[in-house]
Amino acid sequence: MTLTFYAFVGFVVVLLGLLAWVFKSPARNVLPNLDAANLEDSGRSHATYLPQLQHAFGTEDVEFLVSQGAAEIALRLRKERSPVVLLYLSALRGDFQKLLRLARVIAALSPEVEAMQEFERLRLNVEFALRYESIRIAVRLGLAPLPQLRHINQMVGALSVRMEAAVTELGERAALAAELASSLERRRVDLT
Amino acid sequence: MGELINFPKALWALSEAAQCVLLGVLIARKAYRDYPAFTFYVLATLLQNAVVFIVSSFFDLSPFSIWCISWGMQGFVLCIRALAVAEVARHFLGHFRGIWALARRILLGCAAVVMLYSLVISKHQWNLVILNADRGLELAFAAVIVTLFLFVRYYGLVVESRPRWMAMGFFSYSCFFVLNNTILERWLDNYLSLWNLLGTWVFLAALLLWTWTFRNYQPVAISVHELLPTGVYHDLSPILNLRLRLLNDRLIQFWHVEARRP
Repeated sequence: MTLTFYAFVGFVVVLLGLLAWVFKSPARNVLPNLDAANLEDSGRSHATYLPQLQHAFGTEDVEFLVSQGAAEIALRLRKERSPVVLLYLSALRGDFQKLLRLARVIAALSPEVEAMQEFERLRLNVEFALRYESIRIAVRLGLAPLPQLRHINQMVGALSVRMEAAVTELGERAALAAELASSLERRRVDLT
Repeated sequence: MGELINFPKALWALSEAAQCVLLGVLIARKAYRDYPAFTFYVLATLLQNAVVFIVSSFFDLSPFSIWCISWGMQGFVLCIRALAVAEVARHFLGHFRGIWALARRILLGCAAVVMLYSLVISKHQWNLVILNADRGLELAFAAVIVTLFLFVRYYGLVVESRPRWMAMGFFSYSCFFVLNNTILERWLDNYLSLWNLLGTWVFLAALLLWTWTFRNYQPVAISVHELLPTGVYHDLSPILNLRLRLLNDRLIQFWHVEARRP
């Protein structure tokens, strides 16, 4: 009896909490964002700034300072570079959100959508959000040392080929979608 | 339901009057054209109360017969209520054909899972089986409405205010119903009269909310969004997902690199 009581009351509390969350942070209408500029913009990425970030985080500087006996300065250097990591993370998140918005607009305006694609996107969104927050908190609290971008270099080398191919293809498709959207827009104007 | 005679008469009459007013507004404003299931639901609740009142007041029936009629009517009203909730859901997402097709399946699945959860949680209480089934359905309605709002938020869609308020009316009533029945189940004898009274109050509040929602209703042509050709989604969606996955991979690697460092 007690289990039943708490199970139902708990479920209702969860529902109320979810509804409160939805109303507290209502989503913006994404449909007006379907314009050529946005679609084309989605092809660009903050990830392209990675070489500059790699340079800024090169371990050579720190190693040099340590070898010169300036360990304090090396430590300060690392601390001062933390905000750069946060900015980079934030930029990655911006890229991610922009792509998500575009994907949602396309889904909203499509006559049929695939459940698998939508679920995968939802899963990626949740995963990204969790990882992003955990890394951000770790960097802020100084729990995680700054990344050794030499390792990232190897990773990026593997990814960048796939990424560039995807970006190129996306650019072509985005141009096509933008053209379609603007022709639809013109049709709507003509009708009125 | 069989305890209808014990309802404070004034509250019951107020509830009936509110249902009549809402039905009048729906008809006068011609809202029944866009909301036929909801209109039928209001009519069904009105008939339900009337039938139960007439049967229990003017016919010399056994308590069991009255109980059967009351719960039979309740089952019928619940079915119509399900249709009304489905209608609200269609008003939420119906303009977006692809998403609506996906949402329908998810909402039905969600309702089935919640019903199952409700029945599993209520095991070994066969004397309360109808109460449990009723509560399970109401919980499913509440879950479906929350899922609907989550859908709207996830896709960043703008829904007109009327279906939102209607959904809020259904949601608040369903949530209260679940809580009320759960408390009734625990303190059956002491709570019965209060259970009836509170249920009527909340239903009255939902009726007032719906009446307010439809007070200035004017049928308007539904603005249908121009849809993209099917191929655009099928071409772009996998590419977008790939890019999202790559960005996610980048973050994973970032994390792994950080974790590896001494």
